[in-house]
Amino acid sequence: MRARQTHTPTRAPRIGRRGFLTAGIAAAGLGLAGCGSGAATSSGRARLRQWNLFTGGDGARLMEMHEAFREEHPEIQLEDTTFMWGDPFYTKFVMGAAGGRAFDIATVHLSRLRGLGTGTLISPVPRDLLAEHGITEDTVPTTVWDKCLVDGELYAIPLDTHLVVTYYNRRICERAGVLEGDGTLVETNGEEELIDLLTEVKEATGQYGIVMETTGAWRQFWSLYRQLGGEMTFDGELVIDDDKALRCLDFLRRVSEEGLAPRASDAPGTPANFQNEIAGLMFGGNWELPTLRDAGMDFGMRPFPAVFGDPLGQGDSHAFVLPYRRTPDREAENAAVAYAAWMLRNSLTWAGGGHTPAYLPVTGSEDYQELEPQAGYREAAENVQFDPQAWFSGSAAQLQSDANSVFQAVHTGATTPEVALDRFKSAAQRLIDTPPPV
Amino acid sequence: MTAHADPAAPRKPRSGSPGAHTPETPRALPTRLRDSLTGLGFVAPFTLLFAAFLLWPMLAALWSSFTDRSLARSDSSFVGLANWQQLAGDPAVWQSLWVTVLFTLLSTPPLVVIALVMALLTNRVSGLGWFLRFSFFAPFLLPVAVVTLIWQWMYQPGFGLINAALARVGLSEVAWLTNENTVLLSVVITTVWWTVGFNFLLYLAALQGIPRQVHEAAALDGAGAWRRLFGITLPLLRRTTALVVMLQMVASLKLFDQAYLLTDGTGGPNYAARPIIGYIVDSGFTEMNIGYASAVSYLFFAVIIVAAIIQYRLFSRPGVES
Amino acid sequence: MTPTSAVASQRRGTRPPLRFTPGGLTFTVLALFLAVVWLIPLVWAVITSLKPESETTAVPVRWLPLEPTFAAYETVIARGDLQQWLLNSTVIATVVTALTLVTCVLAAYAFSKIPFPGRSWLFALFIAGILVPPQVLIIPLFDQMTFLGLIDTYTGIALPQVVAPIMIIILKRFFDAIPRDYEEAARLDGAGHLRILVNVVLPMSTPILAAVGIFTFVQAWNNFLWPFISATDPNLMTVPVGLGTVQGSYGILYAQNMAAAVLGALPLIVVFLLFQRQVVRGVTDAGLK
Repeated sequence: MRARQTHTPTRAPRIGRRGFLTAGIAAAGLGLAGCGSGAATSSGRARLRQWNLFTGGDGARLMEMHEAFREEHPEIQLEDTTFMWGDPFYTKFVMGAAGGRAFDIATVHLSRLRGLGTGTLISPVPRDLLAEHGITEDTVPTTVWDKCLVDGELYAIPLDTHLVVTYYNRRICERAGVLEGDGTLVETNGEEELIDLLTEVKEATGQYGIVMETTGAWRQFWSLYRQLGGEMTFDGELVIDDDKALRCLDFLRRVSEEGLAPRASDAPGTPANFQNEIAGLMFGGNWELPTLRDAGMDFGMRPFPAVFGDPLGQGDSHAFVLPYRRTPDREAENAAVAYAAWMLRNSLTWAGGGHTPAYLPVTGSEDYQELEPQAGYREAAENVQFDPQAWFSGSAAQLQSDANSVFQAVHTGATTPEVALDRFKSAAQRLIDTPPPV
Repeated sequence: MTAHADPAAPRKPRSGSPGAHTPETPRALPTRLRDSLTGLGFVAPFTLLFAAFLLWPMLAALWSSFTDRSLARSDSSFVGLANWQQLAGDPAVWQSLWVTVLFTLLSTPPLVVIALVMALLTNRVSGLGWFLRFSFFAPFLLPVAVVTLIWQWMYQPGFGLINAALARVGLSEVAWLTNENTVLLSVVITTVWWTVGFNFLLYLAALQGIPRQVHEAAALDGAGAWRRLFGITLPLLRRTTALVVMLQMVASLKLFDQAYLLTDGTGGPNYAARPIIGYIVDSGFTEMNIGYASAVSYLFFAVIIVAAIIQYRLFSRPGVES
Repeated sequence: MTPTSAVASQRRGTRPPLRFTPGGLTFTVLALFLAVVWLIPLVWAVITSLKPESETTAVPVRWLPLEPTFAAYETVIARGDLQQWLLNSTVIATVVTALTLVTCVLAAYAFSKIPFPGRSWLFALFIAGILVPPQVLIIPLFDQMTFLGLIDTYTGIALPQVVAPIMIIILKRFFDAIPRDYEEAARLDGAGHLRILVNVVLPMSTPILAAVGIFTFVQAWNNFLWPFISATDPNLMTVPVGLGTVQGSYGILYAQNMAAAVLGALPLIVVFLLFQRQVVRGVTDAGLK
């Protein structure tokens, strides 16, 4: 059997047996052979096939950047494809990378990198080539850069960081009397101060103080847990601080039970609820910014509030990766690296979508510093809290979706924090016991 | 395919008379040998494809199911029954299997009954045959993604056609695809609309095979329309019904395409519409666990075989066959 | 049927006619109602595709567009990928159909007419193969195709779809029914099996060949699961895979979605309208056996 014969990008192409078999099969196909898709087009331009998972505001911004890139780089023929966010994208990513000829560069969540087969499905990024385009260790925040390294090799080029933040509706908050003189939301410290704030806002709306995605409660949970300094590891067995986890879950229970937040609000429903002003505040990803702005709302943004410690928020980073390639193709690789570097250098446009660029010269620029309301959470973005490290962890991965489905019951009141924690622990343990695919 | 006789072809016998073709003559052996070689040559292309794309993968999957093979790792090792043990204790396997079975139970009756009603009506009504055949059968010809694009649009809350119609008659909106309790039902409705045309055609063909005289004779005997339907037509259709039910159950057990696309690849809230094939795809390609996905594939294969045996038992009883 | 004809036929005689009864009118109305219900989704898709994007999500829902436009079609066509997918679907369905016909006809003929060693054994193996649903094979086939480097090639997408042993059985049953006299006459004339197949058997088999061919083509055209797995490069996707997985970067635009759906549905619908009788026969013949 061919158990030991899979692709590793470093290995020289084995034309021998595989080529022979391919030829045989192709002959059986009566001349159907060949038909791969060549990297170079007839016009002689380098073809660059880019895969991404951006729709909505992010998608529009990506298209805008791609148009600008095409104009500046007529020698590269950029073909972009958008797949559905989450599992459908990662399923296609895995299949395409395993096939080894479907795309030349793709965006992934940095938190997923280690679970996607670095070295087998993802090729290392040639650092010197990247440096030629001006991207080095020194131009990216260290915390993010380190996430791109696996066993000392660079496997990803980070575009941004993004995280869960607090949105506030200025009109409602003014009515509730919780705005500072300059129109920003008052800063709260600790659980009770936040609850007081939410109560005042609730009185102003007559319905709720805040909306948050109850079907995506992992984001809130991990933010709070990290504020408490909680750690989570998965080496053979789950290590979690029960007391800290319970305090976080109890907070989720409390805001719903006291009517400060709806018991149920799903991903599309949460920003809609915020727009419909059933609450004056929202916990949400910074990527909701363009939608709300397009809706013409008067709103501001702040970091996720300091409930148990520093105002830390759960987040992740979009990064470019190079797929494993069946036949090495220098030209496509050069084009891919040039493209990624260009995207980083021009990520001021990308910042319009609420994301914080990873490229330090951009975040250090005056243009970026002046962006509102991005300035309201810029500092928190520097300290984004990545998900715990495991092959089943990260954005849209199994641990998150297990946690989301368990924790939403705390919001609805269907389970107690204690039961939810037990369920989460056994779900996590089951993932740990699953043989890792990488 | 042009298949005319070639007049220029040599007609004369090569040597010896045709009567010489008996086992005793020396000419017989070459003929048999030639037949054998020709026969083997004729089956060779298909056999090759069959071996390469059915037999070999079957065996490879069996082997994989005993290894920890992964798409993201270059080596793999034998893990014995680990995958099978994991499978037995994996709630997602049993949940997705239940989704498949539930879908089969929910979708088969309407797909058979509505098809029968459509065929009876089409057979009965004159002058509209072309239009009815088109309306009932055209959806079957649509690629699945076209079907799901249209139905996702129909199921939309707010401005979707179905919810708008519900609101018009004073009923409350249904969150068709986003509610755990309705998502599988939505898949069933879409499937009925999409594939009922195939069963309809099978029934229509069978109905048109029933001689008119049978009905006319019964009508002369004073049998009413309902009596004729239940006393004559349906019993005559029994074999077709058995076939339609059988084909439909097998087709329903293979649910994946429309469920995957209607739920945008998520399997629906809490995986309420992720069938077993969806779980095979998820564990194989999303989690990259080829070994485990192979084991689940074999479980699915076993389900199909069991269904086939049950059907064979049910429909091959004496009385049904005749 | 019209009410007048129903009345006329009632007047005609005492024997209750089979078609033109008052009950018949009820059936006609019922049939028309069902047909209209079944057409609504298609009609709604066409109507939506002719609306400007802003009208699609308007509440309350309006049936007809206020300002009908082909803008959605223009955008979809300008994007170009749908044409590529239509081309891919055509190529793959054609190749699958041709290969299925050639390999299955040859094998069915051999099983029907030529004694050769291992015949019954091999036939039993193929019958057993019918029990294996292609869905069971996706994981090992993907693995195998990765190994052979055939993921994202026409070859890799098409070849596994050719293995449909049921077609051999259908064809063999038909060939079995052809009287031996014909081929024996040809044999006496010194014709080999290939000549007999091409000159004698095939001309007599056009209906079943058309049935198998049409059925295979429709199946291959609409097949989702294997092409979904073996074609990840958008340039090699078929219509169902491309429409189902590739997203517009601007989010969901219903008029464009429906325009793409209508264009993706059109080829087979047109074929059906042109060759309704053959398609119906193809589906029932190949499906019934």
